[in-house]
Amino acid sequence: MNDEAELLPGTLDLLILKAVSLGPLHGYAVLSRIEQISGQALFIEQGALYPALFRLVRQGLLKTEWGKSDNNRRAKFYELTSKGCKRLREETDGWNRLVAAIASALAARPQEA
Amino acid sequence: MIPYFRSLAARFVHRRQTERELEEELRSHIELRADGLERSGFTRAEAERRARIEFGGEARFKEECRDAIAGNFIDVLMQDLRFSLRMLAKQPVFAVVAIVTLAIGIGMTTAMLSIVHDVLVRPLPYANSERLYAVYTGSDSTGQTRIAASGPEYQDYHDQNKSFSQIAEYLPRFTFTWTGEGEPKLVTCTAGSEDFFAALGVRPYLGRLYEPREYTYLEDDTMVVSYRFWKTKLGGDPHVIGRKIRLQDESVAIIGVLPPMSDLFPDTDVWPKLTTRPSWPFMQWRANKFLRVVGELRPGITPKMAEEDLTAIIRRAPDEPRDVRVQLAPLKEDLVGNLRAPLIATLGAAALILVVASINVAALLLARAVKRQPEIALRLSLGAGLGRIARQLITEATVLSGAGCALGLLLAWSALRLVAQLPNLSLPRLDEVHLNTPALAVTILIASATTVLFGWLPAMGFSRLHLSSALRSRGTETGERRKLSLPALVVAEIACSVVLTISVALLVHSFWRVMHVDPGFQARSLFRVYLRSDSPPNDPEGLRVYNEKAVPFWQNLLTETASLPGVRSTAISDWKPGRDSEIATLLLEGRPYDEAHLPAIEGTWVSADFFRTVGAQLVTGRSFTERDNADAPPVVVINTQAARQFWPGQNPIGKRIGVNYTGPGRRTSGATPRLREIVGIVGTMRHGPLDAPTAPAVYMPYLQDETSHNMSAMNLLVRTEGSAMGLAEDLRRQIHALRPDQPVEQIQSVEELEAQSLAPRRYTLLLLATFAVVDLVLAAVGVYGVISYVTAQRTREFGVRIALGATRGRVISEVLRSGVRLTAIGSVIGLVGAFVATRSLSELLFEISPLDPLSYSAAVALLAFISLCACLVPAWRASRVDPIIAMQSE
Repeated sequence: MNDEAELLPGTLDLLILKAVSLGPLHGYAVLSRIEQISGQALFIEQGALYPALFRLVRQGLLKTEWGKSDNNRRAKFYELTSKGCKRLREETDGWNRLVAAIASALAARPQEA
Repeated sequence: MIPYFRSLAARFVHRRQTERELEEELRSHIELRADGLERSGFTRAEAERRARIEFGGEARFKEECRDAIAGNFIDVLMQDLRFSLRMLAKQPVFAVVAIVTLAIGIGMTTAMLSIVHDVLVRPLPYANSERLYAVYTGSDSTGQTRIAASGPEYQDYHDQNKSFSQIAEYLPRFTFTWTGEGEPKLVTCTAGSEDFFAALGVRPYLGRLYEPREYTYLEDDTMVVSYRFWKTKLGGDPHVIGRKIRLQDESVAIIGVLPPMSDLFPDTDVWPKLTTRPSWPFMQWRANKFLRVVGELRPGITPKMAEEDLTAIIRRAPDEPRDVRVQLAPLKEDLVGNLRAPLIATLGAAALILVVASINVAALLLARAVKRQPEIALRLSLGAGLGRIARQLITEATVLSGAGCALGLLLAWSALRLVAQLPNLSLPRLDEVHLNTPALAVTILIASATTVLFGWLPAMGFSRLHLSSALRSRGTETGERRKLSLPALVVAEIACSVVLTISVALLVHSFWRVMHVDPGFQARSLFRVYLRSDSPPNDPEGLRVYNEKAVPFWQNLLTETASLPGVRSTAISDWKPGRDSEIATLLLEGRPYDEAHLPAIEGTWVSADFFRTVGAQLVTGRSFTERDNADAPPVVVINTQAARQFWPGQNPIGKRIGVNYTGPGRRTSGATPRLREIVGIVGTMRHGPLDAPTAPAVYMPYLQDETSHNMSAMNLLVRTEGSAMGLAEDLRRQIHALRPDQPVEQIQSVEELEAQSLAPRRYTLLLLATFAVVDLVLAAVGVYGVISYVTAQRTREFGVRIALGATRGRVISEVLRSGVRLTAIGSVIGLVGAFVATRSLSELLFEISPLDPLSYSAAVALLAFISLCACLVPAWRASRVDPIIAMQSE
């Protein structure tokens, strides 16, 4: 049931979870939040967001509710479940470990090898 | 888990709502984005346009969202299924051909697998069945194998062996008379010694089996009957225990009913006991080898150890060849071993059909896939994933093979029912044969494998599809792959067909030879009546000469029946037409006498008119007359084979021989037999089935019978003139007038008996020939389909060439040449396969070698002819191509 492999490996899901962790957001806002918190460094094709959202809902990491946006449009809001919280922590730890490991590997100098 | 089910519900329960929400959510996204763009200065229309473009392929993402909802695969499957059914319905001929083709292959294979499993593979249903072995002896110096045991031999095994926990002797399929209840009848008996039922672990269905006490005396006063006999002849009477019936003119009480035993002589009616101490005299002659022995090995004893053990025992016995040795055969093999060759051959043929059928369907699908190239290319370009397309193709193939499988199982089921009802096909264990789990498993496996193959093969082709060329070519070009794989399929198909056709040709040639064998007598208009007397066969003296009491009956019978209307002459003989005659050993006057190496010969007691009645050819000397009676000097007639074998280059007339009987129930009285003078030589007759080898034989007047043979069974042979209408009734009346208690059954023409004796051969041939015909049709369809297809691909090329002046004949010959090339390659491969495969057929062949050149060339010629015919239509069509239309069609 896990079809993450089709995406850029796992990162989009992680970013969505992170974005939503700060409070319920509708799809467009998730996108804006990611752009904002990544300092505009990450580009995500807008449509590609939705299959990822649906998948996270199916996995029970997000729950949804219809509501009103800031400018009063009807929109579907996504919120982190407790399972989603846990997953976010795990994935963040995993990511940090990976980054640290790669950084230390890249920082290695010839005589240490 | 809960979110997953909610997601699943979203798909199937709230389908419309889910779809609407998806729609709304995406629209809301675009509008929110447009709001943002509007704020940065675009007009509303422009903002919405840009928002849409930024969003990307909306349809694709919607699809991906749907995919992300749980249970998507079911949806896709349904979609694919609907699409597949639509595609197949559009081409009903294709669909029907493919499904029926597969059904035939799958049905035949499943039916044969069921039969092979149930008859050959399934273990016997007895406790410790894997430790049950039949015991035979053999000797290299005499060249004999599978020799049965004599009473004393069995006693030695029983008393001295250390290998068997139980060992028993038994005698299958002899007859008793059953009188006192309406028309006198015959019952089929199988008798086992004390440990017989125990060794097999058989328990009674009703009542009890024999007690040890009952094996201590000879008389049959109690009787165990078979389930079948109880059900069909005794009406399934629940109070049957204690009921008395008259067998062999003795009253016996039924003490038990056995459970159904389809494995062990299923035609047995009653199971008398076989006593060993005391036993009948004929069971005490060491040379009287007619008993079968079965034993249960002790745990830890291998068959080899047991063979050595028993061999040591038999080598201590007198009058055995020095190199005699005991051979063990698993009991199951002993019971069904003779069916192995025909059943395996038939299964092999069925499997070949399945292969050819699969190849056909694969070729059909491949050819069709090429036609669908533009459609697929379009779908690929619109963003369909290759996996999705492959899934679609595999679904289509699944629909085909699923339908083929279902129809095939139906076919197999009806085939099995048919086989169970075929007359004269007494396959043991067959009444239990049904579609069974292993066969079903194999079928499902085959169906799945073919499905994946059929679906995958075309999908592989599309993976290298170049969009632009595929669209442009409008499906008239073939990729390199397909150019290779289609003809390769034809070659494989022809190779398989060659193997099968050659096998069947060998069987047909054998059968033709069997049917044209000269039996040495005239089977036409010859009838026989089997007459088993109710006199106890077990004369304690063992040497009673029955003649005095019985001779008047036989003599009256002969004169009375000879004067019946339409009857030309009658004779009696103990020869069983179509089956066998008794085996005797020969003593030649003036030659060294070696008890252990007496030449074997078929010995038959006949009445004076025998040779005239059966229509045998007298070669020299004279035949018997009424004067060759008990008071006259003993005489004998031999056949030409005996003359050649024992008196090569001499005239046997006037020589004297002694004939020693060793068969069950008879022995020559006195230490050495009387010497008889040879008075005539007749042409060799085939006493057994037409396909059994002939043997040297002697014929003696029944009035000069000096053996313990009590004429407990004789065959009345009746030669009729023209029609024999009403003969059976006349004979029955006449015989009952002479002996009211005489069962008169099995009034049959000898032709019919011979046909019966060939029934296994005929059935094998019929079955394989049917398979071969099916196979040839399939091959013809396959070759036709592929050549038509390949030719159609070249329509334009042919058009151009015709326009440039190529004659139509040249076009025809070119198409034919490509067909011939494929046929030739396939035939060569098939020939190599046949060299290997037909070796396993050698048991089924008659007087021809498995490499019989006539069969090989006939089969290949037939296949080449059919394949050529299959190419003719497309070739002719190619030659009729109108250049203008062909070129415009692009």
